Amino acid sequence: MTESAILYDSSKCSACKGCQVQCKQWNMMPSSLVKDGYEYTGSYQSMADLNGDTRILIEFREEEAPNGIEWAFSRRACFHCTNPTCLDVCPVGAISKLENGTVKLDSTKCIGCKYCTAACPFEVPKYRENVGVSNKCTLCDDRTAKGLEPACVKTCPAAALTFGPRDDMITAGKTRVAELKTAGFSKAELYGDTEMGGMHSLFVAKYGYEAHGLVRDPKSSEAVNAFILAKPLAGIGVAAMLGVLGLSFLTGIGYNRDEQSVETAPADDAAKEEK
Amino acid sequence: MAGLAASFGRGAMTNHFCDFKNADVILTIGSNNAENHPVTMAWVQEARAKGGKYIVVDPRFTRSASLADVYAPLRSGTDISFFGGLMNYIIEKELWQKEYVTNYTTATFLVNPEYKFTDTDGLFSGWDDTKSSYDNATWKYQVEKEEPWDTSATGPYAWTKAPGVPAFTPLVNKVAKKDPTMQDPNCVWQLTKKHYARYTPEMVSKITGCPTDKLLEVYEIFAATGEPGKAGTILYGMGQTQHTYGTQNVRAMAVLQLLLGNIGVPGGGINALRGEANVQGSTDMGVLSNNLPSYHNVPTQAKHKTLRDWIEVETASAGYQSNKPKFFVSQLKEIYGPYATAENDYAYDMLPKLNAINHTHIGVFESIGEGIVKGMMCWGQNPAVGGPNASFEREMMAKLDWLVAVDLWETETASFWKAPGVDSASIQTEVFMLPASAHFEKQGSVSNSGRWVQWRYKAVDSPGEATDDFDIMHELYKKLKDLFEADGGPNPDQFTKLHWPYETDGKADITKVAQGMNGYTVKDGKLALNFTKLAADGSTACGVWIYSGYFNNNDAPGDPAQQPTGSRGKEDPGDLGLFPKWAFSWPLNRRLLYNRASADMQGKPWNPAKSLVEWDGTKWLHNDVPDFGFQVATPDGKITPTPPNNKAFIMTTEQGAALFAAGLKDGPLPEHYEPFESPTTNLLNGGQSNPALTFGKATSVQPGDPKKYPIVCTTYRVTEHWQTGGMTRNIPWLAEAMPKMFVEMSKELAKEKGVVNGDQVRVFNERGSIEMVAMVTPRFKPFNIDGKVVHQVGMPWHWGYAGGQATGAIANDLTPNVGDANTSIPEYKAYLVNVEKA
Repeated sequence: MTESAILYDSSKCSACKGCQVQCKQWNMMPSSLVKDGYEYTGSYQSMADLNGDTRILIEFREEEAPNGIEWAFSRRACFHCTNPTCLDVCPVGAISKLENGTVKLDSTKCIGCKYCTAACPFEVPKYRENVGVSNKCTLCDDRTAKGLEPACVKTCPAAALTFGPRDDMITAGKTRVAELKTAGFSKAELYGDTEMGGMHSLFVAKYGYEAHGLVRDPKSSEAVNAFILAKPLAGIGVAAMLGVLGLSFLTGIGYNRDEQSVETAPADDAAKEEK
Repeated sequence: MAGLAASFGRGAMTNHFCDFKNADVILTIGSNNAENHPVTMAWVQEARAKGGKYIVVDPRFTRSASLADVYAPLRSGTDISFFGGLMNYIIEKELWQKEYVTNYTTATFLVNPEYKFTDTDGLFSGWDDTKSSYDNATWKYQVEKEEPWDTSATGPYAWTKAPGVPAFTPLVNKVAKKDPTMQDPNCVWQLTKKHYARYTPEMVSKITGCPTDKLLEVYEIFAATGEPGKAGTILYGMGQTQHTYGTQNVRAMAVLQLLLGNIGVPGGGINALRGEANVQGSTDMGVLSNNLPSYHNVPTQAKHKTLRDWIEVETASAGYQSNKPKFFVSQLKEIYGPYATAENDYAYDMLPKLNAINHTHIGVFESIGEGIVKGMMCWGQNPAVGGPNASFEREMMAKLDWLVAVDLWETETASFWKAPGVDSASIQTEVFMLPASAHFEKQGSVSNSGRWVQWRYKAVDSPGEATDDFDIMHELYKKLKDLFEADGGPNPDQFTKLHWPYETDGKADITKVAQGMNGYTVKDGKLALNFTKLAADGSTACGVWIYSGYFNNNDAPGDPAQQPTGSRGKEDPGDLGLFPKWAFSWPLNRRLLYNRASADMQGKPWNPAKSLVEWDGTKWLHNDVPDFGFQVATPDGKITPTPPNNKAFIMTTEQGAALFAAGLKDGPLPEHYEPFESPTTNLLNGGQSNPALTFGKATSVQPGDPKKYPIVCTTYRVTEHWQTGGMTRNIPWLAEAMPKMFVEMSKELAKEKGVVNGDQVRVFNERGSIEMVAMVTPRFKPFNIDGKVVHQVGMPWHWGYAGGQATGAIANDLTPNVGDANTSIPEYKAYLVNVEKA
């Protein structure tokens, strides 16, 4: 089967959050807002990060540049890596790779150990408190199996999201980057062509990776590598291994995604401490 | 809408959404289309993919601006100077579309030599200080000759003599004197040229705060669309209209687009992006206080005592509006049915006649204060949050005897009596809440900004007691009729004689309304093909003539799917985005208004690759329905094509577009005035604000001193919410997407006030004081106004105290309840405040 991918073009995105809302609607994820309960994020961003009920988040970062404001929009969601570390560390096989490249998390098998969150270089999978399982984008495998595009792509009014064969999406992404460079966006680049073995959610970064909060050259952590090596060894008890890994994750091995690029504010600090 | 009607003859978006893809340049000014009309971006991006430029002019760097090729800042309320400067640039550099301007506009017309504009006081001729209004006698054209209507049996106005047509004196068309060389100092061209010569880039930069180089960059790109075959479009919204000179803002765009030959062409036009899915439909149906459906003026006691008065005053002496008696009599026949006869002037006397009181939104709340208005129905409207000077409006609600709120949720209006800080026990108003159905729970037509009337079907049943608005209306009508029949009361005939056949088997039936709107022949009830079949003799009935043809299939009169409004064909002749078989576009399914102007005087399209209409030497070829007299049908059925002429704007009396418009209350040419509350003096003329603005003297306004309140404030919407948040703050997913009220301010102002991003701040003026979080951002920059630093802040107006998910301060507690000179639209978009850390 041909590999598929979403192509997100941040230079066409109007940050309307239609995808963020549509994802919840199609996948029947509730709002995580308790009445008047969100901390101010410092920008138009609705919440500080993805959470157990939120698989897509539109992020806002703004910088003053010599040519004016660079307002970088980002679609934060699972990248569906070719080498998914979340899959590698899942102790119960709840995470699998579909033929089209989708990295699927089966919530019926998930035991809520949160290792996938710790192992992910992007900290994408999030824990759903009330259900006790991890949650992340499925690339709408229920829709794609029927030949439909993912719900977020369907709803995008600005044609910033497209879905199709991964090779085509990479070609389109590269073409768009070249166009942007010609138009004067010298730092434009495509994310996901080779990262983590190649991703199935590609990202045209209008102002460059850093401006959009994308991790340059992401790697699986040492702990994950150790886990992968250990996995086939029959002599190690799963529980013991998990104990060791859990400890190493807690001590901060692995990637920590940059915090939101907000102006310093007491509210932001509070939000950070909560995390 | 008033500005467009005064210029072109119809108050409607000239083009439509899919047409944006045909533009070479898209100028968004007074709109934030990427945020508030996200779907527009599909076509904006299509235009850009073909090399089109997208320009955004806005006081702050918006999400639209982030997608633009060029962004230019401008202080709120200075659009006319921005456009005036652009017109001056176009005229000086000879970039105007000469064949177009000379033939399709009133440029050659001669104006009364007494007309003048005076720089020193900012007044046009005819100002009467005691009446605070203009007499427009000197703004009119000089008359070349008078042409009385030919009402002879073979003349074009023979219909006026038919039996049953109300008696009225045939009109006399005053043909304007013209100077084809456009050298006469009194010709419209010379007056326009002279008026805008004062708008130099330096002056405009001082007023708007837009740096001169940025200004000239935008001017150069947009002025280039004056080349024949090129098209530039303007997208605007409430940023243009919600000013005390909002109508003139729109007029300025009209004059500009006419100079460039951008009206009537694919990818051109002035496109009002309406803020609600069915606002165009609402105004088409006459929700404005001075409009009946289809933009017929509500009769006034002063000018329209009799049907004869109405016809003589309202009918145009030439152009298509000379047919108005046919549409008005047909409308009376639909309203009063069999009771309306030739003998009783088609029941004209039953129509209420407006007195001198201003009945617009602002006026209604003033009238409550004066004890004139005692009860109020708020139907899908939430003035407690959405009205200007909203805390004053909530105070006024407490003076009502009763208030009915019809809405999906309990809004701030429905719960004004239990708002925070209100002593409920002291309020005597009896409040009723009627739960209404949401749009997926009912059927009916919706008219989008581009005039497409699309039928929508019911998808699900309403929860609980929620009821379709039309059912509520129908029940209300029946109850009131029964009460009037049983008990009498003042003017009972207006209910008991009303024609209300809109039910089937005792239940309200919206398709019957659609039939009445489309029109039919009275004797057999057969649906009218379109409005060309309507007559002034009482033989036809039609509620909304401009929609006629949208529901005309007699083979299935009860099935919307088989009517033009329900059609869903995807053909697109010419690949122009016209989609003529998708729904119905009023009038007559024309997709682009004034499309005659897309071709030159020989009938050849300015841009042959985008042909709407084309004269092939013997007949008109067309991809769109021609919006001009393109053929004549003789009574024997013979059709003769009309060769090209200069009558490109058939809805104006002159049949040309008005560069100079005598019909408005505040001047024939748009002139820069400062907002009612402004941080600066008017640098361009000696008048400060629009002399004809409305409610400037109302005590409720409480104007602020610029010394005390030096910061310009504006209000706007965000993508995530809709209007007063009644729906979006009650839908968890949407409330979550933008949970908090905020005020956006520059880093410079924040520093001055000792505020950092995320601080609670207080924004205040004489009308109120509200608290919210400060969003400190480089996207707002201080303006340099004539060498002085002027700060601007902005707030969304989506929050209030009601709502299940997210609450917050009401931005409109600070907006002034002063209005535009012509429409009384409140000045939500530019006023003064101060800011401090809370």
